[in-house]
Amino acid sequence: MQLTYADFPYLSTLLLTCVGGLLAILFTPAHRIREIKWISAVFSGITMLVSIYIFLAYDKSLGGFQFVEKLEWVPMLGISYFNGVDGFSVPMLLLTGIVFFTGVLTMWEHDYRVKEFFALIFLLVSGVFGMFITLDLFFVFIWFDVSLFPMYLLIAVWGSTRKEYGAMKLTLYLLAGSALILPGIIYLVAGSGLNTFNILALMEPGLFTAAQQKFVFFLFYIGFGILAGVWPFHTWSPVGHVAAPTAVSMIHAGVLMKIGAFGILRLGMFICPEGWQFWAPLMALLATVGIVYGAFVGLSQTDVKYVIGYSSVSHMGIVGLGLATMSVDGLNGAIFQMFAHGVMTALFFSSVGYIYDKTHTKAIAELGGLLKSMPVATSYFIIAALTGIGVPCLASFWAELMVFISAFKVYPIYGTLAIAALAVTALFMLRVVQKVCYGPEDERWAGLPDVSPGLGIPRMILVSVIVLFGLFPSLMFDMIQTASIPFLSRLP
Amino acid sequence: MNFILFQPELFGLFMSGVFLCLSLARPNSKRDFFTALALSAVGIAVCLAGLRLEGGLFYGAYRVDLFSQVFKTLLFMGLFLVICICSELKGIAERLHSEFYLLLTVCTLAMMMLVSSVHLLTIYVALELSSYSLYILVFLRKREDYGIDAGIKYFLIGATASAVMLFGFALLYGATQAAYVGEMLQVLPGLMDRPLVVIGLFLTLSGFLFKLAVFPFHFWAPDVYEGAPNQVTAYIASASKVGAIAILIRMVSLTGGNSEFLVHALVALAIITMTVGNLAAIVQKDLKRLLAYSSVAQAGYILIGILSMSAAGYTGAIFYALALLLMKFTAFLVVVKVAYDGKNISVDQLAGLHRRSPLLAMALMLSLFGLAGIPPTIGFTGKLLLFTAAMKQGYFTLVLIAMINVVISLYYYLLVIKAAYLTAPVGEQPDLEITPPMKLLTGTLVTVMVVVGIYPTLFLDLAEKAARMLVL
Repeated sequence: MQLTYADFPYLSTLLLTCVGGLLAILFTPAHRIREIKWISAVFSGITMLVSIYIFLAYDKSLGGFQFVEKLEWVPMLGISYFNGVDGFSVPMLLLTGIVFFTGVLTMWEHDYRVKEFFALIFLLVSGVFGMFITLDLFFVFIWFDVSLFPMYLLIAVWGSTRKEYGAMKLTLYLLAGSALILPGIIYLVAGSGLNTFNILALMEPGLFTAAQQKFVFFLFYIGFGILAGVWPFHTWSPVGHVAAPTAVSMIHAGVLMKIGAFGILRLGMFICPEGWQFWAPLMALLATVGIVYGAFVGLSQTDVKYVIGYSSVSHMGIVGLGLATMSVDGLNGAIFQMFAHGVMTALFFSSVGYIYDKTHTKAIAELGGLLKSMPVATSYFIIAALTGIGVPCLASFWAELMVFISAFKVYPIYGTLAIAALAVTALFMLRVVQKVCYGPEDERWAGLPDVSPGLGIPRMILVSVIVLFGLFPSLMFDMIQTASIPFLSRLP
Repeated sequence: MNFILFQPELFGLFMSGVFLCLSLARPNSKRDFFTALALSAVGIAVCLAGLRLEGGLFYGAYRVDLFSQVFKTLLFMGLFLVICICSELKGIAERLHSEFYLLLTVCTLAMMMLVSSVHLLTIYVALELSSYSLYILVFLRKREDYGIDAGIKYFLIGATASAVMLFGFALLYGATQAAYVGEMLQVLPGLMDRPLVVIGLFLTLSGFLFKLAVFPFHFWAPDVYEGAPNQVTAYIASASKVGAIAILIRMVSLTGGNSEFLVHALVALAIITMTVGNLAAIVQKDLKRLLAYSSVAQAGYILIGILSMSAAGYTGAIFYALALLLMKFTAFLVVVKVAYDGKNISVDQLAGLHRRSPLLAMALMLSLFGLAGIPPTIGFTGKLLLFTAAMKQGYFTLVLIAMINVVISLYYYLLVIKAAYLTAPVGEQPDLEITPPMKLLTGTLVTVMVVVGIYPTLFLDLAEKAARMLVL
């Protein structure tokens, strides 16, 4: 595996910007709400710019891990502060930067316990960034949990609809996942006999027997799969999304669920490739069930946020299906889908969040004819729905196309089922759009203010990202290929 | 005889002497508090100065090495921390304040001797001295608020455990013809297949398991935690656990890892202890009782490191002793501050804490996350060390069960955090007055818990060297 060391610690800059933002917020008096919001916007903006820079500066002809930083941390245990990004993680960094910045801007009108809210968001996002860049198992677990535990308070304090139940369920589910991941990590470290937590060192072929790899991969698959919303461990996800406030839903569905899939990739597939090959049929099965199940359950929901929550289960199933194909196209599609779904869901939740803030209802039956009173807000909503359906020229289309093509080759039956489910997804998305946006205008919603240009900025950014990568998918595919082709060629 | 080796204990003796004299003078709680604070701070410095000492005393019955000196420092640190929260001893009558400090010091001194003892007789004497001080400390609470049943229960179970332990000593002595731990170390590993030795060892260990509140000796914990003055509970939960961990490590390391039966028994005890502790904690309404059951569960985690019987396991246990000291103390600091009238508090009474004192709420949250083992806190790093050591010995199932326990425990910790952060208080609650020194202490504890959790190298090296003393 080729390592290119960084001349400037860009990856640590990402982390330190988050920590710096956190400290800046903590030392600002709680009543200075405006200043806190500006601090949040500036620091999250910096992380977005740095992540864009990393995306552009990553040398695709060179491939391998770049921007590598390494520092001995606890030599006695073989723990090192070891960061680096490859074609798999660079898109995730970009996604995190975008969703983070737009999420902060979306909460511009938020005014309840502002200081704590933004402090927890910064803590959460620093965990997410850390998870995507680290190459050391010790830090994987640290960042994983740092990104999870602020969720409890974020949902329980600022949420809506059954928030305490949703928060507790989500936290316990996700930590049950980490209860499988930690023994897996320790098993690998203790079993290798190398006294190291370094992922790249543990990737050495022949270090673990096939039986060990199968065992550990299963632990990682279930552990991270809970976070990735793999059926049947997804039940926390719609409840949690519905209960969470807008920015948290955006970050959670947009980025946090990707950590789960990314964990399966980085830990499970990288370290235990034979386990991956063994369990791939199961992954494909569960993913297909998730796709079909999410679509059908989404069809019968009466709450807009539940619809999005279940569509997330369905869309994350596509990621799982792509990973299970064990082919370049499948991996490319899966990673692209993670990116596209992240941006799409963020847009979805941010537009629904706006509508909820104004109408104070999420029930599909009560909404209607919003296109007349809020043309701009509903446009964002419709664009998000179209992306979710997979309309060409929008980012999701390419991702889903690649996954389905490769799934057809490997698992013809699952592939057919998944495409059939897509038609159902289209049906329920369009049904929601029809009920919410069109139809007779309800006089209760007449005269409600539309999205102002300032509040439109985050949504505009998300829409432009969707369109940009929908028109030029090669921007993303070229990047992912630098990692997926070498990765698959190394497999036994 | 080289008195330099004995300097931390001599200082402890001097400090108890001071309070013995003060207890004869007119009661003055301010004077007692500041004297105790100053003396215990000096005590930490004395212990640190003696960290590198090595040697034997009293015809080899007393051993000074890095292992014992690290624990002595931890113990004095625990004493200092507990004294820090004694500025308002509302739970104890003012005329008894000097006695309170006297007993606290004597108890610490006894435990310092315990960690250095390598002869059955000194071990017994030191253990009893510390136990008797604690029995009285538990009784000190104002009678009108709480009855004396906690003290009686503690005393009866404690005395029984000592008797059982003494019987174990006798059996061990009969089997090995040795009373020096060092000599036993030579003989015991070869005799581990003899039932007499195994039973003797078990009965011996039960005395220490009682101190650590391991199943089936944990029944005293919730009642004593509830019935003792808050500061005393803080001491029992933090410093006294450190002493128990130390002596347990030393005794178990005697066997040289040669007894499968002992390991299996300890595995069973560890699993039952943490499961019982965590399940019982879920239904507790009183915060001190909840923390008592959480202590029981923590004892189970520590056993995992000890039963690994390797240098890595002992390192983990030593590290976890520090972690437990800090985490439990921080939790009790919040208890003491919120219960400003010296009474017990229920979990519900934490409602609105985040508004009354954001700092205390944050400290409580971090200490509870640490106890649950959530990174990036010191509790996670400690658990990682313990679990890694167990995994290296091949105890995968044990680690998995421990992790499941972690998830169970998270449920009740989250309920406490929910009370502190979410639940709206009934009626108006005044802001809590926290003095600047107390703010500094809380801030320092929070920082140390996080920093040592992320960057454990310094203390880890020390713990590792100390553990090497035991495995030769």
